[in-house]
Amino acid sequence: MSTRKVIEMYGTALAGLGLFVFLSIFANNFLSSANLFNVLKQVSFLSMLAFGFTFALITSELDLAFANVCSLAAVVIGFLISTDVAWPLAVAAGVATGFLAGLLNGLLVTVAKVPSLISTLGTASIANGLAFMITGGVAFVGRWDPNFLFLGRGKLGPIPVIILFTLVLFLIVLTLSTQTRTGVHLQATGENEEAARRSGIDTRRAKIIGLVLSGLAAGITAVFLVANLSSAAPQMAGDFLLNGIAATLLGMTMFTPAKPNILGTFVGSLIIVMLSNGLVLLGAQYYIQDIMLGIIIILSVAVSASVLKRAAFAL
Amino acid sequence: MPVKISTRNIVKNYGAVEALRGVSVDVHEGEIHAICGDNGAGKSTFIKILAGVEQPDQGEITINGEARRFDSPQASLQAGIATIHQDLAVAADMSIYQNIFMGAELTRRVLGLPLLDKARMRKDALGYMGQLNPSITDMNAKVTDLSGGQRQAVAICRALRWNADIVILDEPTAALGVRETEQVLGLVRSLKAAGKTVILISHAMQDVAAVADRISILRTGENQIDLEGGELTADNLSHYILSGEVNRIH
Ligand SMILES: Nc1ncnc2c1ncn2[C@@H]1O[C@H](COP(=O)(O)OP(=O)(O)OP(=O)(O)O)[C@@H](O)[C@H]1O
Ligand SMILES: [Mg+2]
Repeated sequence: MSTRKVIEMYGTALAGLGLFVFLSIFANNFLSSANLFNVLKQVSFLSMLAFGFTFALITSELDLAFANVCSLAAVVIGFLISTDVAWPLAVAAGVATGFLAGLLNGLLVTVAKVPSLISTLGTASIANGLAFMITGGVAFVGRWDPNFLFLGRGKLGPIPVIILFTLVLFLIVLTLSTQTRTGVHLQATGENEEAARRSGIDTRRAKIIGLVLSGLAAGITAVFLVANLSSAAPQMAGDFLLNGIAATLLGMTMFTPAKPNILGTFVGSLIIVMLSNGLVLLGAQYYIQDIMLGIIIILSVAVSASVLKRAAFAL
Repeated sequence: MPVKISTRNIVKNYGAVEALRGVSVDVHEGEIHAICGDNGAGKSTFIKILAGVEQPDQGEITINGEARRFDSPQASLQAGIATIHQDLAVAADMSIYQNIFMGAELTRRVLGLPLLDKARMRKDALGYMGQLNPSITDMNAKVTDLSGGQRQAVAICRALRWNADIVILDEPTAALGVRETEQVLGLVRSLKAAGKTVILISHAMQDVAAVADRISILRTGENQIDLEGGELTADNLSHYILSGEVNRIH
C-alpha cells in the first residue's frame, strides 16, 4: 500500500493515538483509571448515538433529530417511572419512542418526499416541544429503582456495564453494516439510489431502516443516560448533536475514506471525547471545546465530502 | 419458437412528450430481437417499461402468455428479465464485485447468521468478467477507476449474474472499441446459444445485422416495421430507420 493510502485510511486514527500519548504525558490524571473509565463512559453515550446517525448517513440521509429524540425518550422514561410504571416497561417505552421517531423520519423522507435535512429539523423541534410538554419544563428526579440505575452506574468487576454494553453493540452494528446484505443495501442506496433500485434493492426500505436505526439508537442511549444521571430533563442530550455529527464526520476520514462507517465513528467518538477530556484536564476554558468541534466538523468534511454533500444538497 | 414476451399498444407520456404511442412487439423465445430507431424514437423508454423502471400509461405486457405488470425493477427481475440500461447506473464509488452482485449478494451461514460471502462473490465476479474482459482481474477495484468499456463489462456481468431467461441490452456497444464490441457481440450470441431470449438495442446497423434474428424499428414512439431473415442487412435497416417507410420490401 502506498504511503498516501495509509495516511488516507489510518492518518486520523494515528493522530488519535498521538493525542492519547500526548495527554498521557502532559495531562495530569489522564491515565488514572477513574478518568479513563469516565472517558470510556462518555464515549459509550456518544458512540451509541453516533452509530445511529452513521446508519442514516450511509443511506445519504441526515438525521438532525437524534439528540432531541434522545432527550424526548429520556423524559418519557422519567415520566413513566415517576408515575410508578415498572422500570422495564418505561425502558421499553423509551426505546419505542426512539424507534417511532425514526420511523416517522423515514416515512417523511420516502413517502412524503421531504428532504431529510428539513424533515428531521422539523421532527427535532417537535421532539423538543413534546419533551418540555411532558416535563412541564422541569426535570424528573427522585428515587429510582436500583436495578434500573445499575444500567447506568453498575459495574461488572471493575468495568462499568455501559462500556461492556457499548462494546457488544459496536460489534453488532459493525457486523450489520459490513457483513450483511442489509448493510450493503443501505450503502448502495446511499451511493447511487437509482443504480440500487434498478438492481432490485428496495431503496425506500433501506432509507427507512437507516433512519429507524438512528431513532432506535437515540432511544437506547436515553435509557443509559437517565440511569447514569438518575434524572431526566428536556435537552439533556442536546450537546450530543454536534458531538455526534463531529464523531461521524471525523470517522469518514478513516478506514473507508469519504464514506460514513461504523468503525470510523467509534474511533471518531474516542478522539472527540479524549480531546474534550484533555482540554478540561489541561485547564482550557469551556468555550475552547465548541471551537474545537466546529473545526473538526469543517475539516472532516473538507477532507471527505462526497456522501455528505449528496445528503445536504438533495434538496 | 413460441412468443416469449409480447407487448400490445404500450403508451407512455412524459408530461406533454409522447415517448411511446402504442408499441406492439412479439419477441420469440431463444431469439435475438433487435430494436432500432433514431435518437429519441422511444427505445430506452420501451426498455425501461419492460425493466419495471417506468410504468406504462396504457398497454399490456405478457410473458409466456401470462399478463404481467412490473411495478418495480424487482418485479421485472423476478419475472426473469435482466436489463442493462443505456446509462449503466453503476455505483461508481463501490467495487466491481459489489456492483456485479448488487441486490443479489451471496451469503453463507456463520454461527447461524447469513453473512456476506465476499470471497465467493469476488471469485464468481472474476468468472463472469473472464467471459467479457479477462484483462480486468482486481474485483476490489472501484468502478470509478474503470474506462467506459470496462464499466459496460461490469454492467453486463451484473445482468449475467441474475441468470435470467430474458436479457435486455440497451446500446451495449455504444462506448466500446472494436475488440470490446466483438466481445459483447460474441457474448450476445452465447446468450442465445444458452437458450436465452435477448432484446438488443443498438445504433450500429452492422452489429444488428450481424447478430439479430428479428428487428423492430421504432419511429416517434410507434413501431413502424418488423423485419426478419434475409431482410436484415445494414443498408436495409438504415433505409427504414431514415425513411420510415412502412411497407415490407416484398
Ligand atoms: N424522463 C423523461 N422525462 C421527459 N421526457 C423523456 C424522459 N425520458 C425520455 N423522454 C423523451 O422521450 C422520448 C424518447 O426517449 P428515449 O430515451 O426512449 O429515446 P431513445 O430511442 O432511447 O433515444 P436514444 O437513441 O438517444 O437513446 C424523447 O423525446 C425523450 O426526450
Ligand atoms: Mg436510448
